[in-house]
Amino acid sequence: MTGSSDPETFPTPTIMPLGDSGLLVRFGSALTDAANRAAIVLAVALERDPIAGVVEIVPNLVSVLLRYDPWASAPAAIAGELRLRLFALGDTPVPGASWTIPTRFDGPDLDEVAAMLGMAAPDFVAAHNAKPLRVLATGFAPGFVYCGLHGEGLVVPRRTDVRPAVPPGSVLFAAGQTAVTATEMPTGWYVIGHTDFRNFDPAGAPPTRLRPGDMVAFEAAP
Amino acid sequence: MSAMLTILRAGPLTSVQDAGRFGMLRHGIGASGPMDGGAFALAGALAGGGCGSVEFTMAGLEIGVASGRCRVGFAGGDFVVKHNGVVLDWPGTAMLRAGDTLAVTPGTWGNYGYLRFDADIDLPPVMGSMATSSRAQLGGLDGRVLRAGDAVALRGGGESATLATLPSAEPASGPIRVIWGLHADLFPQALRQRFLAAEFVISSRLDRMGVRLEDAAGVFAEPVALSLVSDAIVPGDIQILGDGTPIVLMRDHQPTGGYPRIATVISADLDRFAQLRHGTPVAFEPVTVEHAHALLRSR
Repeated sequence: MTGSSDPETFPTPTIMPLGDSGLLVRFGSALTDAANRAAIVLAVALERDPIAGVVEIVPNLVSVLLRYDPWASAPAAIAGELRLRLFALGDTPVPGASWTIPTRFDGPDLDEVAAMLGMAAPDFVAAHNAKPLRVLATGFAPGFVYCGLHGEGLVVPRRTDVRPAVPPGSVLFAAGQTAVTATEMPTGWYVIGHTDFRNFDPAGAPPTRLRPGDMVAFEAAP
Repeated sequence: MSAMLTILRAGPLTSVQDAGRFGMLRHGIGASGPMDGGAFALAGALAGGGCGSVEFTMAGLEIGVASGRCRVGFAGGDFVVKHNGVVLDWPGTAMLRAGDTLAVTPGTWGNYGYLRFDADIDLPPVMGSMATSSRAQLGGLDGRVLRAGDAVALRGGGESATLATLPSAEPASGPIRVIWGLHADLFPQALRQRFLAAEFVISSRLDRMGVRLEDAAGVFAEPVALSLVSDAIVPGDIQILGDGTPIVLMRDHQPTGGYPRIATVISADLDRFAQLRHGTPVAFEPVTVEHAHALLRSR
C-alpha cells in the first residue's frame, strides 16, 4: 500500500446511513486485508480532500464513518461526492510510520494460546514477531489498536469468558489480530503480554500516536 | 460574574457536561455530552449561556453558593426546584447569592435535568471539551461524577439570558422513530416486523452508556448467532446483546462494537427517549433519513 505506483483495486463499497447524522462506507462485512486497506485509504483521501458538510471522518476495521450535521447537510449530496472520491481511491498514497513495541511476553494466556496453535511458547512468540503488523484501526476504547492480520497459522477465536479488567499496555491476541490496550478495560481476548508503550495521552494533540496504516513491529523485551 | 458553588447532595450519576467532545472517535473516544440536548440548550438560554452544565438525575441535587453570585437556569424533564426553600417554576431561572441553596427533587416525569449558569464552569477542557465521559473516565472534574463536598467554580463567560417561550409540557408520546440499522438486513423480515409490533419496557438498567429494554414479548429470545466485524457506533443505535437483550446506546456509548444493531433512534427523538423512566412502555417506528431530518428541523 505504500510506495507502490500501481493503483490497487479495492472491494466495491456499500454506502449506507448510520442514523440520521452519519453515512457509513463499508468495504465488506468481514475483516479482510483488502477491505481494511480500502477503509484506511478512503479516510486518508477524505482528509486530504474534504467533502463539504462532513464534520468527522472515522476509519474503522472495514469501513469509514462520515458524520454530518443533520441540520445543515443532505446525505445525498455527500454520497455523490463520496462516489467521486471512491473512483480515484487507488491513486491515493498512504503514509505509514514504522513503530517498534517492546513487549514482555508474560501474559497469563500465553501458554494456552501457544498450545492451541500446537507450538511451544517461545516458538509462538517468534512466529508472532516474525513480521511487522499493520495498525488496522483504533476503536472500542481510547487508544485501543487492532493490529494484523496474522497468517492462517496464528488464528485463535476469542475467549468464551471476559476478564473484567486488564491494565493499560496489555498485549492481546485473538481473531488473527494483536491488540494493545491504552486504558484499563475488560477483554474477551487472550492476554499474551505487556508493554510500556502507551498509545493514549489525553493531554496530547493528537491524543493517540498510532494511526491506521502504520506498521508495528512487536519485539520481545526482557 | 463569578461564584464558587458547593455540591451539598448529588445522585450517583451527576456529571459536568458541555455540548460534547466531537472529533475524537478516531482515537477511540465518544463525544459524551448531554443526555437531553434540548433541555441542556434551554437551561443555557435561561441562564445566559455560560459553558458547561451540571447534569443530574432522578436522584436529585442540592448546591450551595459559597461565595460570589450567579444566575442559574434549570430545565429538563419535570423536577421540583427550591431556592432557599421556596419552590420556583420548572424550567426557570434564579439569581443566586452567597449563602443561597438550590435543591432539586424529581417531579412527575423525566430522568435528566440541567443546571447552567451565566458564567463558565471553570474546569480544564480535555481534548477540547469539559464533558465527563463515564466510559473513558475523562473530562469534567477529574474524569468522575460529582459528589457531595465538591467545589465547582464559575468565572467569566456568559451573555445576557435569552428567554424564549418555555416548553414545560411533557413531550409528545407515541413511538420512538428509528432508521433501520447497520445490521438490519441480517434480521429476518418476520423478526423485524415483530420488533415494530412489540411493546418493550424501559428497564431499571439505564445510564449514560445505554438503556436496556425489557422484551416481554420475547422478540429477540432466540438471538441471531452472528460473528460480526466491529464497526462504528452512533448514539441511538439499538444493539442486541448475545443473551437477546436489546440495548439503546446513549451518549457515553463505546465508539465501536460487534453486536448486531437493528436500528438507530433518530436525533429528533433521542432526547425524548433519554427521558423515559424505568417501567415506561416503548414502541419503535421506522422512518426514512429524509423524514428524520424534516422532524428535526420542524421542532
